[in-house]
Amino acid sequence: MPETTSLFDTLNELLPEILKATGETLLMMAICLSAAIVVGGALGLLVFLTSPGQSLGRFRAFNLAANGLINVVRSFPFIILLVAISPFTRVIAGTSIGPLAASVPLSIAAIFYFARLIEQTLRDVPRGVIEAAEAMGASPLQIIRHVLLVEARSGLVLAVTVLAVSFLSYSAVAGVVGGGGIGDLAIRYGYYRFQTDVMLITIVLLVVLVQSIQFLGQWFARHVDKR
Amino acid sequence: MPQTSSTAAAPPAIELRGVSRRFADPGGRSVGVHPTSLIVPQGEIHGIIGFSGAGKSTLLRIVNLLERPDAGEVVVHGETLTRLSAAGLRQARHRIGMIFQHFNLLHNLTVADNVALPMRIAGESPARIAERVRVCLDFVGLAEKADVYPGRLSGGQKQRVAIARALAPEPHVLLADEPTSALDPRTTLDLLGVLADANRKFGVTILLVSHEMEVIRRLCHRVSVMEGGRIVEQLDIAGGRIPEGSRLAGWLQDFGAVGPAASPSPSTPPQDGAPSHFALEAAHA
Repeated sequence: MPETTSLFDTLNELLPEILKATGETLLMMAICLSAAIVVGGALGLLVFLTSPGQSLGRFRAFNLAANGLINVVRSFPFIILLVAISPFTRVIAGTSIGPLAASVPLSIAAIFYFARLIEQTLRDVPRGVIEAAEAMGASPLQIIRHVLLVEARSGLVLAVTVLAVSFLSYSAVAGVVGGGGIGDLAIRYGYYRFQTDVMLITIVLLVVLVQSIQFLGQWFARHVDKR
Repeated sequence: MPQTSSTAAAPPAIELRGVSRRFADPGGRSVGVHPTSLIVPQGEIHGIIGFSGAGKSTLLRIVNLLERPDAGEVVVHGETLTRLSAAGLRQARHRIGMIFQHFNLLHNLTVADNVALPMRIAGESPARIAERVRVCLDFVGLAEKADVYPGRLSGGQKQRVAIARALAPEPHVLLADEPTSALDPRTTLDLLGVLADANRKFGVTILLVSHEMEVIRRLCHRVSVMEGGRIVEQLDIAGGRIPEGSRLAGWLQDFGAVGPAASPSPSTPPQDGAPSHFALEAAHA
């Protein structure tokens, strides 16, 4: 056997590790994206509907409080948030290491990130169209379902795309504190052990993932946009 | 005029009792509507005309409480809207159609789905929705565009879809906020024909705001002239004749539009190359 191993050999040798890391990354992404879409999406909708001039604009206090909260959480550099809420993470996940534990701070960051993204996307729906629905006797829930989610849908798809790409990279940060996943692999082998080839493999893997997410997101957004 | 004489027993379609609504415009001046009353009998096409900032649109939007008056009462078809709960108001709005200057169609819904929208919101059955969508698209002459998205339609076609959408739930009242102001003159004539037809065929009462004299003159049975947030004049103009000596007649002369003396007699069809579909004068006869 030659002393220097080729990139291919490294790949072969580390394949189980890489697969496991990819699985962990996908698990973290699945958890934090779901939390963001359900909770963050609802929060974003409420912030939009309670903004001045919209149909629930009379709930000004809620709007101010929710806006403030979103800004506060989004002010935390992710790695600080990760450490700062670790007691809370232990309560929720029972541990503060591993992909499940890392999913807790990831979810919290993603919820508030997505809430802001959604609120901004919904601003593109013309006020006149929402007003037309109000004139038809639509309730706030019907306005969400029949107008906002319909007219903003391509923007919403793009918002999910941006969210997924951002949190793929955030999930790599979680590797620093033993979160697992592709980022963890890059740090353990590529950084601590100076195995540049492993670093390269993980970066290629992340680039492929980001490109795929972006391509799929844009294709789908175009597909649902009839404007 | 049958529209007013046949409704002696019926409640008016729209009754505004001393409604007012004041707010500051972007320049900080107080604008809106001073305490104003208006009665529109069932079946009438009533115009509101005036210059920008006269309060026309505000008054119109008070009728379905898109603009809630600071004081006064709004009664539509015998129901006092200003006393209803939020849910009651939504229920009442199901029977008040509205069309807008910029159409306000949903661009991600097909024409048929746009027309179906108010009925879906009102919780009608799919069978009834399908039936009404067919009838209303037929009525505005766009049956073959049912599966097209509004982005592919002309302005006039978009406003026809908006009219079909407003008529789908069989409203008592149709509110029209500058419905032709974004359209060219020929398309405008065409659309006025559709509105006159809707009034004649379905008996829907129409309250229309416009700053275009011709639109008011051709379509409306009566007109309220607004200035500075008040109705300053109310005229019977059925047949397109504007009474001499009225403020409106003065405006027409001042602004170089068709002078009242030169306006055609009620039975004269329009002479400006309007499409044959145009049947306004017949609607008035």
